[in-house]
Order: sequence, then C-alpha cells, then structure tokens
Amino acid sequence: MNIIETFNLCKYYKNKKALDNLNLEVPEGIIFGYLGPNGAGKTTTIRLLLNLAKPTNGYAIIMGENILKSKKYLSKIGFLPDVPNFYNYFTAKEYLAILAEILGVDKKRVDEVLELVDLKNEKKRIGTFSRGMKQRLGIAQTLLHDPKLLILDEPTSALDPQGRKEILDLIKSLKGSKTIFFSTHILSDVEKICDRVAIIKDGKLLLNEKVEELKKRYAKRMITIEVDNQDILWEKLKDKPWVINIAVHNKSLLLNIKDISMAQKEIPKIISENNLSLIHFEFLEPTIEDIFFEVIS
Amino acid sequence: MIWKLMKKELKEFLKTGKIYVLLFSLLFFGISSPIIAKFTPEIIENLVKNQEMQGLIIQLPPPTWKDSFIQFFKNLNQIVFLIIVLLFIGCISEEKNKNTASIFIALGIDRKKWIFSKFLFQIIITYFFLLISFIACAYYTYFLFSTFPIQNSISAMFLYFIYIFFILSLIIFSSSLGNNFIQSAGIFLGIFIIFNLLSIFPNMNPYNPMSLSSLQNEWILKGVIWKDALKNIIFTLIYSFILLILGVVSFEKQEL
Ligand SMILES: Nc1ncnc2c1ncn2[C@@H]1O[C@H](COP(=O)(O)OP(=O)(O)OP(=O)(O)O)[C@@H](O)[C@H]1O
Ligand SMILES: [Mg+2]
Repeated sequence: MNIIETFNLCKYYKNKKALDNLNLEVPEGIIFGYLGPNGAGKTTTIRLLLNLAKPTNGYAIIMGENILKSKKYLSKIGFLPDVPNFYNYFTAKEYLAILAEILGVDKKRVDEVLELVDLKNEKKRIGTFSRGMKQRLGIAQTLLHDPKLLILDEPTSALDPQGRKEILDLIKSLKGSKTIFFSTHILSDVEKICDRVAIIKDGKLLLNEKVEELKKRYAKRMITIEVDNQDILWEKLKDKPWVINIAVHNKSLLLNIKDISMAQKEIPKIISENNLSLIHFEFLEPTIEDIFFEVIS
Repeated sequence: MIWKLMKKELKEFLKTGKIYVLLFSLLFFGISSPIIAKFTPEIIENLVKNQEMQGLIIQLPPPTWKDSFIQFFKNLNQIVFLIIVLLFIGCISEEKNKNTASIFIALGIDRKKWIFSKFLFQIIITYFFLLISFIACAYYTYFLFSTFPIQNSISAMFLYFIYIFFILSLIIFSSSLGNNFIQSAGIFLGIFIIFNLLSIFPNMNPYNPMSLSSLQNEWILKGVIWKDALKNIIFTLIYSFILLILGVVSFEKQEL
C-alpha cells in the first residue's frame, strides 16, 4: 500500500514552476530517499504535503486522506523542517513538554525522545544550541507523538560525519514501524539507508525506483579492462558505436558501454585479434552518485 | 485546543519576561499617576520659591481626583499603548519569520485556533493587568484625595477596554499580514495613522475608535453620557471583528 501518493501535483510561482505534475508513490514501511539538486523542488513538495502551502494544481492522498479535503492525517506525521527553529527561550525539555501537552502526549515521552537524540541532559536554552543540536531536537520532536510517517527535510545536512552517522542509524532503526520520507542531496546517505529513491530536478520527477533494482539496471554499464598494451586497445575501441566513452585510469581502461551484449562479444575478439593479453576485466557496481549524475544530466 | 495553545502563549510570555514588562509598567502608572497629580503643583511652587522669583505669583488650582485620572488615562493612551503594541505586534509575524509556527501548523493545528488563542490570551492578560492598574490608581486616588467617583472612572476605563480591544484586533491583523516585526509594525502604524487623520473631520468622530480617548477625558471632567459613546463603541467593535476576520482569512491563505 502507498502511504503517500500524489496526482499531478503542481506548484507554480510567478515565473517559476517549482513543481510540475508530480506523480509520486511512496510505499508504506520503507525508507524513501527524495533526491535532487538545490532548487529541485524537494522542500516545495514537502510543504505541499504538510498543508504549509497549497498546490496550484493536483492533489495527494496521504494515509488514505485527500490532503485538500482533510487535515486529520497531519497529526500522524512527524515533520522536520529544513532549517528547524524553536522558541529560543526554552530548554529542549520545556519546549517538548509544551508540544506534548498540545498534542496530548504523555510527558514521559519527552525524556524518551530526548534520550534517543542524546539531548536528555542538555540544560541550555535552545537559543544557544548549535545547528546540529537543533537538528537533533527537531528529530526528537518528530518522534514525540509516535507518528506513522516521518517527513524529514534534509535531516543530515547540518551535521558532522559523526552526527550524520548517528542520525542515519536512528532513522534506520525506525524502519518498519514507521515510513520515513526524507529529502537530501547527500548521495551516500541514500545509498546507506534507503530502500527506494526518487530523483527530482527542476520540479520534475526523473525516476522512482527500488535502490537495488536501480543499481541492477545501471549495473554492467561500466567496465574496467586491463591489458598489456592499453594504447592499442584504446585505439581499437574508441570508434565503436556501442562505446559511450573511455577513460584511462591507472593502467586500466574505464569504459562506459551503451550495448552490453555487443561489448561482451566484441571485446574478446579485439583482444585476440590484436594479440593482447588480458590481465583484468570487471563489470563495475555503479554508485548512486554515478546514477544520479547520469539521470540529472 | 485553544486552551492549551493559550497556555503555551502564557509560558512564552513568562519565559521571555514580557509579562513583567507589562505588569510593572501598568502597576507603575497606576500608582504614579495619582501621586504625580497630587504633588506636581507643590513641586512647581517649590521650584518657583527656590529660584527666588518671589515677584512671580503662580496661581495653581488645588489638584483633584480628576487630575489623577486624567494623568492615568494620558499614560494609558501613550506609553502603555506603545508597550502593548511593541509586546504583541510580532506575535504572528515573528513566528512566521523564525519559522516556529510551521511545526505546529504541520501537526494539524487549526490556523484559526492558532490565531484565536493568541488574541484571547492577549485580551485576557492585558485586561487583567489593566484592572490591577486601575485598582491601584483608584486606591491611591482615594488615599490622596479622599474621594473618587466610581461611576466616572469605571465608565472611562470601560471605554479604554473597548479601545484596547480594537488595538489588539489591529495588532492581530497587522501581525498576520506582515512577515516580520518591522513589516507588521509598519502595517499597524499605517492604519493607526489613517484613523487618527480621520479625526480631522468632526462628523466622523462617532465612527472613529480614536475618539474613545477624548471621551475618556470628557467623562472624567464632565460626566458620563452613554449616548455620546454608543455609536463609537458599536463601530469600534465592528471594526475589531472585521480586522480579526481579515487577519484569520489572510493567515489561512498564507504559505508558511
Ligand atoms: N515562495 C517562493 N516564491 C518563489 N519561488 C519559490 C518559492 N519557494 C520556492 N521557490 C522556488 O522553487 C524552486 C524549488 O525550491 P525548493 O525549496 O523546493 O528546492 P529544494 O529542492 O528544497 O532545494 P534545496 O536543496 O536548496 O533545499 C526554487 O527554484 C525556488 O527558487
Ligand atoms: Mg530544500
């Protein structure tokens, strides 16, 4: 079942299509990475889903409710804004206690969630927090009412590598009991924890696929070959129609292949015809980064 | 929900210390107004004596309870008014500016209730402290002048309550439209100036909330005539509700 489904969701600003006919499906219970470069429309999508902005066109169904008609679904979502800000005069505990009261959550829960993000013994006012601490408090706040769906806008962007790892581990540990939708432009985060990834650019959805399938689909497109005389091989390969490009990397050639079956047949032929000896041949695993740059270009 | 949101407002008000600013300034003017009214003539006489200007004869009428309340309402309409505006004008706009409102709205808290809780909180806290201030002023007036007519002062105070209702509605409206403190203060000032300019036309006075303050003085000095204020009160309340509704409607349409 899809926990979020959008139907031709559009958001136009005066002279800017921030979001253009977005049709996005997010299955329940997974970690969903919403990937895109700066200005792609990630934050815009999230604001539409959370009733912070109104779509120019289209609609979305979240947990079975049409977001244009009902607001009940909102209480089942935990939201972390891209730049989380809180009432500066309070301590983390005081702030969450206020929120807990408004949400009708047991006050004991405040300590629990602060413990999770390692802020339990922090007595300082929020105004003196670092960005990373605010980010962690923001995550604690999203968990306060134990929502089914977490929508996190770049949850790791303000964190150092250590903090990033902790948050990613935390997100990972929540998988299953909750669906986590998070936007990011950090590719390695997606690679580490996401089950599924969507890539958006200029307000348009470029793909939405399971990470493993995506990798499979893009796999076997990169080949690295090492022979005893790479100049000859390079000369022979460079004009083949099934080769997109060749790069020289140390003693190997790095090939980007258009037609994999052609390559598999042709390359051994070329090697034997030119009397070269093969030292190494390997299909490379693509990283999300490779895929990302290929998709958005 | 409104109740819980008001509690949040109160906690913020306490934590930021704004509550003390409002309480102590109101208490101060409640107590100081009668004292100043009482002793100003004496101070002036002493000044004159000390300056050895014996030739000058100053005839100051002995101060009465009226001077005490005139002084009190002058303070309410100037400094206290300014304090109230400064304390509350950022109530919505700064939550937009600092992005603290979006977390609550994204949790499904109704925008109408969000605004309404702020207005209700401001009304209650301001009225409550004004009442304390008024009682202080009445007590010291009685103490210093041995008399004070309950009817005049309470009626004039009632007019000020109506006036403040309008001012707080205008604050909510301005704060809802503006995106930060400065913007909403600008909107407030603009509308406030327009209403003040309208008092140039005397035939507009019954429809102008600003005439409520001159009526306060009249009621203290001459006597209470409800008929004079009736139109004023009704129209002031009508403007207030219109401002509140426009403020809410605008906030509902806004992107946070
Ligand atoms: N209120 C607005 N008025 C006009 N244009 C806007 C507004 N909000 C966003 N945009 C535009 O919409 C586009 C998408 O913005 P959005 O904030 O969704 O990007 P993003 O993917 O979140 O980027 P980032 O990674 O920088 O956070 C941008 O070009 C932005 O300039
Ligand atoms: Mg963004």
